[in-house]
Order: sequence, then structure tokens, then C-alpha cells
Amino acid sequence: MSTPRESARFERLRRTRIGRVAFPKTETERERRRIAALAVPFFALALFGAFIPLVTMFRLSVAEEFLREVSGWTLSPYRQLFASIGAFVPVVGTEISASMTASGEAANPVYGRTIWNSLWFGAVTTVTSVVLGIACAHGLEKYDFPRKGLLVTLISFPISLPGIVAAFMMIVLFGRTGLVTTFLGVLSGVDPITLQLTGQPSGTALAILGLFFGYLYSMIPRATLLLRGTYAEVNTDAEEAARALGATPAQTFWHVTLPQIRPGIVGALILTFRTALAIFGTVLVLKSLSVVTFRFDQLIKVGYELNIAAALATLFFLFTLLFTFLSLRYTSAEVAG
Amino acid sequence: MSRPGTDDPDPVTEAIPSREPGWFGQASARYGRVAVTGLIGLVVVFLIGPVVVTFVASFFQNWTGILPSGGLTLQNWQLALGIAESQGAQRGLGGFWTFVAPDVLFVLDLPVGPRFIFSLPFDMTVQTPIPVALGFSILLALFGVVLNLLVGVPIAYAVTRYEFTGRRLMNTFAILPIVPGIILGIAFLKTYPNLPSAIALVLGYSLLKIPYMILAVQSSFESMDLRQMEESARALGASWTTTFLRVIVPGAKQGIVSGSIICWTLAAAEFNFSYIVYSRGPRPFSLFLFENISNNPFLRAAAAISIYFLIVATVTALLNRLGENGFSIGGAR
Repeated sequence: MSTPRESARFERLRRTRIGRVAFPKTETERERRRIAALAVPFFALALFGAFIPLVTMFRLSVAEEFLREVSGWTLSPYRQLFASIGAFVPVVGTEISASMTASGEAANPVYGRTIWNSLWFGAVTTVTSVVLGIACAHGLEKYDFPRKGLLVTLISFPISLPGIVAAFMMIVLFGRTGLVTTFLGVLSGVDPITLQLTGQPSGTALAILGLFFGYLYSMIPRATLLLRGTYAEVNTDAEEAARALGATPAQTFWHVTLPQIRPGIVGALILTFRTALAIFGTVLVLKSLSVVTFRFDQLIKVGYELNIAAALATLFFLFTLLFTFLSLRYTSAEVAG
Repeated sequence: MSRPGTDDPDPVTEAIPSREPGWFGQASARYGRVAVTGLIGLVVVFLIGPVVVTFVASFFQNWTGILPSGGLTLQNWQLALGIAESQGAQRGLGGFWTFVAPDVLFVLDLPVGPRFIFSLPFDMTVQTPIPVALGFSILLALFGVVLNLLVGVPIAYAVTRYEFTGRRLMNTFAILPIVPGIILGIAFLKTYPNLPSAIALVLGYSLLKIPYMILAVQSSFESMDLRQMEESARALGASWTTTFLRVIVPGAKQGIVSGSIICWTLAAAEFNFSYIVYSRGPRPFSLFLFENISNNPFLRAAAAISIYFLIVATVTALLNRLGENGFSIGGAR
């Protein structure tokens, strides 16, 4: 009599790669089964929560018909996007764009401008918040403050706030009756309408400055906490030696501390820039600058141009993915942890 | 070692700073610490100042000058919670859900014999203790956390305890927020069109917040000698499953609790994804906040946001009792 476990058929099944994981015989194989079992829920979540939706999104971006059933294949959303990006290029843009569109006319550079806005604004806010983050992390690590734990708690508080609340905080500070606006208005005697940073027409310098502070509100805490992790690993002996040998604090920072925290700074720049690109709620409330995430809202909620939104989202996703992984290669793996 | 000022500027000499500090060096020695401290003060005021002002202002009747004025009132809070008797109260948190039991519960209609009508002898109303939208959000975020726990604890253990090919890549994937919320929202639109908003939201929340859970649990696991614990328990006769559930998981209690708290709070206020995906059913809390911010009078919006501040403050206090500095573990993202 043979039990199922001894039958030849079962033995063949067991010999396969998957079979060895499912029906282990040795301890190594059993350990492999444990790892697989521990990882299965994560892969299930990643599959249903991210992979399938993202593939569907890509399918949508190349679909001819998408309102009822997703069907047909076309590259026109991408052609439209790239033509628009081409049209934004200065001087030669019109020709580049015209060569890409079917009609031979230059496309509207709106997407090009939007993407450019996202990139430059993200870069400016990232650099600012990382510089401020270095200062904060430096002070928190090196100096003796009373209630340092409370200070860290306070600085990390905005991480829990969604972008819309960050925008409201900016209205509190810089709106028409905002604290800073009223204060400056009283000080200079100018009408607050010309001083307010929120509620200005989109794209004006004051409106962009208001959004700039709104971005900083979300980004400074993240940058600071990332850099705090880096600072915790700095070798303080070398700094003390430098100071004892007569280097000024500025020289010590520049020649001793900075080389040690450089990988951490690169990591903070990458992750903070990712944060900046993905900020949405703040822009939605303040409406100061047309960045990519804000464009999504208009594509989806105003005009139902789902295929272009999907194409733009695919490009956006691929960019952040490539950017992150390329940069992770150039920094240490510590960045991720 | 050559001195600065000699003729050949070899790279080693170049790297050595000059002995006499210039004006900048002197200034950095004298004012550097003050400047950095001042900067930190400024950052804290910038970050926390508006929070305090918003909270305080929500208790005042109006705010036109620099300071709020007009006496204290709870009106803003009542409107925001949707419990004031006023027009537009539905724009608040929806008020308390009143359950009214139907007069006729069910009718038993047998082919022979009389009809049986079951009914309650009196009207029954049940008031829920918290406003509907708030309660719904709390529940959604809670389901997200449960999913996060089921997914996050095992994977954190796998990458911390075991060595296997692809471990580092898996680790990177697990703790990097790969997909931004708004992109995931767009991806969800056509993928699960018939899924009720609530389920789509829970799925999205758990995916978006899983890195925080994994990071928190991992930091607990890293402070434990996992191999030794596992081997001791196995040697004493426990099966591997028992070891994992009754030795390993309880040992990482701190990370699990703080990870759950962080995930819950962040999911309760998740906006970007909810805004795109939400279509019908009870509104998540973040959309209620958005509606208040974009449509309502300033002080009422302030009260609505203050509800969330209260939640975060409670949560932060809890986290600090657990030994974390507020949301600092989330700083990695």
C-alpha cells in the first residue's frame, strides 16, 4: 500500500523547483519554505495593490477606446505628450513638435511647461529644505538643548499632516489676514492684498513664494529626520581632533563633518525630491503653479481625459522609479534604511 | 609635511586649511552656534506656530486683526462636527448617525395559515457616539492597519532573520514607497471600477503605508537576537509556527504597536489617493478636511483641522510613551 506521499507521481512533483519549496525534506528546504511563506502576503499585496493597477494604467494609456471598455491600441497619448514637451523646448521647439504631430502643427506646450515646473520647483525646494535640514540635524546632534526629545517631536509633527493641511497652515501665515501678512502690513503700511502669498493669481511671483513655503512645510521635517540618521553615525573623535588642532567650526564642518555625511546628504536629496514631485494636496488648495500632480486633477476631474492622464502618470512613475534606483546605486544602501 | 605658502602647491597641502582663521572662520567660531540655534528656533516656529494659532483661533468668534477676537465660542467646533442645528450641517462630519428601527421587521408569509408580522413594539433609535465620517475614517484606517500587520510583520522578519538571494532587493522594495499616492489613485480608477470605494481605499492605504510598518517592526527585530531566540524555542520543542507567533512576534511588540499607530494616523489623513479614488459611500476624513478648507469660513475650517490636530497630538503622546520621538520614525520617507 502506498500513501500519497510515497507515490511516484508525488515524487516527480516534489522534485520540481516549486515542489521542493512546498514539500521540503531537508532543513535548508524547510527554511526556504518559511521565507516563501513569510513573503507571500507582501507579494500578494504588491500584486493586487500595485502591480495589477499599474499594468492596467499602462494599458489604459495606450488604449484607443477607454470610456466604457478598454480596447484598441494607439500611441497617440504619448505622441501628444512628447510633442507638447518638444514644443516647450526653446528656439527649436516648434519644429521638433511639428515633426511629431500627425497634423504637422506644433502642439500646445502645456505639458512641457507643467513637467518643467515640477522639476525646477522640486529642485529648488529640495535644496532649500535639505540645507535647512542639515542645520537642524547638526544643531540637534551637537548642541545641548533642553528638552531635545520634545524638539524632535515638534519638528517631526508635520510629517503626519496631509498636504491640504500644510496649505492651510500657509493661509494662516501668509493669507490675506495671515499672521505674517498682517504683521508686515502694519509694519510697512502697505495694503495686505499686495503682500499676501496665498490667493494670488496662479504663476505670479508671490503665489509661487507662498507655494514654496508650503512645500518647505512638508519637506523640512522629512529632510531633517533623514539627516539625523546620518549624523548619528558621524565620528565625533575626528571633529574634536580638528577643533583641538585649531580648525574653526566652519573649517571643521567643511573638511571633517561634510565628507562624512555626504552620502546621507545625497540620499536625503533623492528622497526629498521624490516627496516634492509627489506633493499634490498643497497645490490643489493653493493653486499657485501648474505642476504635474495638479495637471492630473484637471485631466481627471475637469475633462475626463483618462488616457492622457494615464500616459503622464506612467511617465511620472517610470521617472521616479528610475531616478530612485539609479541614485540608490550611487549612494550607499544605507540610504534605504 | 610641507607648510602652507611653500612653492609647490601639491594636493595634500591644498587640502590643509590655513592656520590663521579668516574673518569667516572667526565669525563661525563666535556666532556659528547662535546662528544654527536661531535657525532651528525659526524652523520650529514656522512648523508649529501656525498649528497653535489654528487651534487657538478655532475657539474664537472672529479673526480679523493680528490676533483672534470676539470672545470664546464652541460654535466652530459644533459646526465642524456637524452637531450644530444649522443649515449646511451636512458639510460637517455628517453628525451622529441615528439608527431608526423599522416598524415592521419582517413578514412571515406561509402558504397555509395566517401571516405572521414581526415588529418592534416601539420605535428604536440608536445614536452612535462619534460623527459618522470620523468613525468611518477611523474604521477604514484600522482595516488598513490590520492588513499592514498581516503583510508587514512577516516580511520584516524574513528580511531581518534570513539570508537568501534577492534579500537586499526585497528589502529595498519593502521599505521604499515605490508608488506615489496620486499615481496609485489614477491606476485604481479603471482597475477596480466596481469595487466599493471603501475596499479600494483600504487596499490603497495598506499599500501606501506599508513601508512605515516594516521600518518600525524591523527596528524592533534588529534589537533582538532572532537566531538565538528561534533556536532556543525550537530546541525546547516549539514548532516553527509557534516560535514565530508566541516568541518572535511578542518580542517585537514595541515596533508593532508604534508601527500600527503611525500607519493608522497616516492612513486616516491620506488625501492624494483618497481624493482620486473616492467615488461614493461615506466620505473619508481627509476629504472632509479638504471640503472645509476650500469651501468653509476660515474659523470653521480651523476647527475641522483642529480635530485632526487633537488626534495627532494624542497619537504623538502615545508614541512618546512607547519611546519614539513622535513621528520621527516616519522621517525616512
